[in-house]
Amino acid sequence: MVGLQEGMCPGLDGGLLRSLLAADVKTVEDLVSSDLEEVAQKCSVSYKALYAIRRVLLAQHTAFPVSGADLYDELLSSTAIISTGNPSLDKLLDSGLYTGEVTELSGGPGSGKSQVCFGVAVHVSHQLKQRVIYIDTTGGLTASRLLEMLQSETSDRDEQMEALQRIHVFRLFDAYSLRDRLSTLRSGGLLQASGGGSVKAVIVDSVSAVISPLLGGKQNEGMSLMIQAALALKTMAKDFGVAVLVTNHVTRGGRGEVQPGLGASWSHIPRSRILLERTDRAPSGCSSTLRSATLIKSSRQPCLIKEELDLQWWSRSERRSSGKRKRDEADS
Amino acid sequence: MLVSGTLFMHSNDSHPRLLARLEARRCLKDIEPRLFAEDEGPRHGEVVELCGAEGTGKTELLYHLLCRCVLPEAAGGLEVDALFVDTDYSLDMLRLVSILDSRLSSALRSSLSRLLVVHCSSSSQLLLTLHYLETTLNSRPSLALLLIDSISAFYWLDRCEGGASISRQEEKLSKCAELLGRLLRDYKFTIFATCHTIRRSCSGLAASRSSTLEADRPYLCRPWQRLVTHRVLCSRQEAENHTAGGSREEKRQVFRVHCSSSSSRTKASRISSFCVTDAGVQFI
Repeated sequence: MVGLQEGMCPGLDGGLLRSLLAADVKTVEDLVSSDLEEVAQKCSVSYKALYAIRRVLLAQHTAFPVSGADLYDELLSSTAIISTGNPSLDKLLDSGLYTGEVTELSGGPGSGKSQVCFGVAVHVSHQLKQRVIYIDTTGGLTASRLLEMLQSETSDRDEQMEALQRIHVFRLFDAYSLRDRLSTLRSGGLLQASGGGSVKAVIVDSVSAVISPLLGGKQNEGMSLMIQAALALKTMAKDFGVAVLVTNHVTRGGRGEVQPGLGASWSHIPRSRILLERTDRAPSGCSSTLRSATLIKSSRQPCLIKEELDLQWWSRSERRSSGKRKRDEADS
Repeated sequence: MLVSGTLFMHSNDSHPRLLARLEARRCLKDIEPRLFAEDEGPRHGEVVELCGAEGTGKTELLYHLLCRCVLPEAAGGLEVDALFVDTDYSLDMLRLVSILDSRLSSALRSSLSRLLVVHCSSSSQLLLTLHYLETTLNSRPSLALLLIDSISAFYWLDRCEGGASISRQEEKLSKCAELLGRLLRDYKFTIFATCHTIRRSCSGLAASRSSTLEADRPYLCRPWQRLVTHRVLCSRQEAENHTAGGSREEKRQVFRVHCSSSSSRTKASRISSFCVTDAGVQFI
């Protein structure tokens, strides 16, 4: 709701504003939806003047229609596909994370969601040389872990430091700070936060950790916060051309099947959703790094497809093997 | 002489406005005969609501209807203008273009220029945009279809803003619905809107029937419910195994739609199924 203020548009001076407020027309929406002849009579102003003000206010506050052809051209020039760094995950996502969309990764505890987020952040900052905004709500992100992952990619100290500098971390632990931080980022803070560079990925790990404690019960505030955060993420993705990756926990559905959490209202928000699970066929006695990822929602690949992910695989194969060989040699 | 004088007194551009109101826009009764019951397609001024949970094909159906509208008649389209009101950034232009491309690649740009897209980020902005819609309707007499995806995007935001009073919670959407009703009466176009379900239907064996009804119950404000003349319930069935003409078995998602029309004439309903391929919706 936008309140009427003096000087908002030519012709809306103090006197007219006072008489409008007296006639119970307090916001732009009230003025636009009211019967102008009636209001003109009540405030004793000319119908023409009110009509002109209404026209200007409408032009200022409405969203303008864009032709489909122009929108398509803009999208063609601005959409990019950000590879996640893991070929199996890329295959599932139809070559990677698309900018302008929200992708959700859900899984139970220990299923590797945070690990995937670290891997994506490291890949984007090191291989693609783009900036990443990482919003951590669980406290699971440590710089030493990121450094360890970078060390397996490159042994050049300067490159590692540069890549670390491209990852900007925000730590928040409640839903209000999340909403406020996302709103700040959306309304132009993205460039400031990243120090002027181009941000290509925003990772929120995890959304459900701060939102799910507020859901349930009779209050609506939790749902409203969730939707506000979701809208901020979506508009940020669209307006700034970034790929958004969020993580979510899982719950059990009516038939006992595993499904992503946060309920039905959240389920419409992400464009693609992946469910991560531990694979059953891990050999007993050793902690496996294999996970199975299922695509449960996608606008590009209509079927439910599964892929097996190796959480250790987070770089190009030749670099990975050469890095490992060096470490093995150093050990022995 | 006197008549034309009074016509010009009210506003600057009344002449085209009068013509825009008088001329009938293209009737969309035959937009998708496989969806609606016999001869029950949406007439002038009717509203179709597509409801369903996530992943049940509502947005895909909208793309299908959109393609049918903007494509030239040579490709099986209706050649009318359409306005897409996007409230939750769910319009995937790349997907829409790939569907259009698969149906007719040559007239892509001219078909796309018949489509107008507007993004709204709050229900206040939606209300103001609908007021502005009147100008758009006047300037484009071939605009016959308004698609809203989705009308329920701001439901929780409005509920929280309205505080404890239900009438304040529903105020904005009610105003939008009343405005849409007036525009429908004056300009006679058709509306297709999607509405997300807010409750998961716990599909356990015991309470399956009642809980699905519970999940599909309309929850938006009364003025909107009064406006809706056709209600399409979308659901997703278990993936069927489908042999794709070779040895490879593919699992295909089959979507089910149950359309119930409750316009003033009759009550009718129809159930159909479709699956989604690269070329869009294919009815089975």
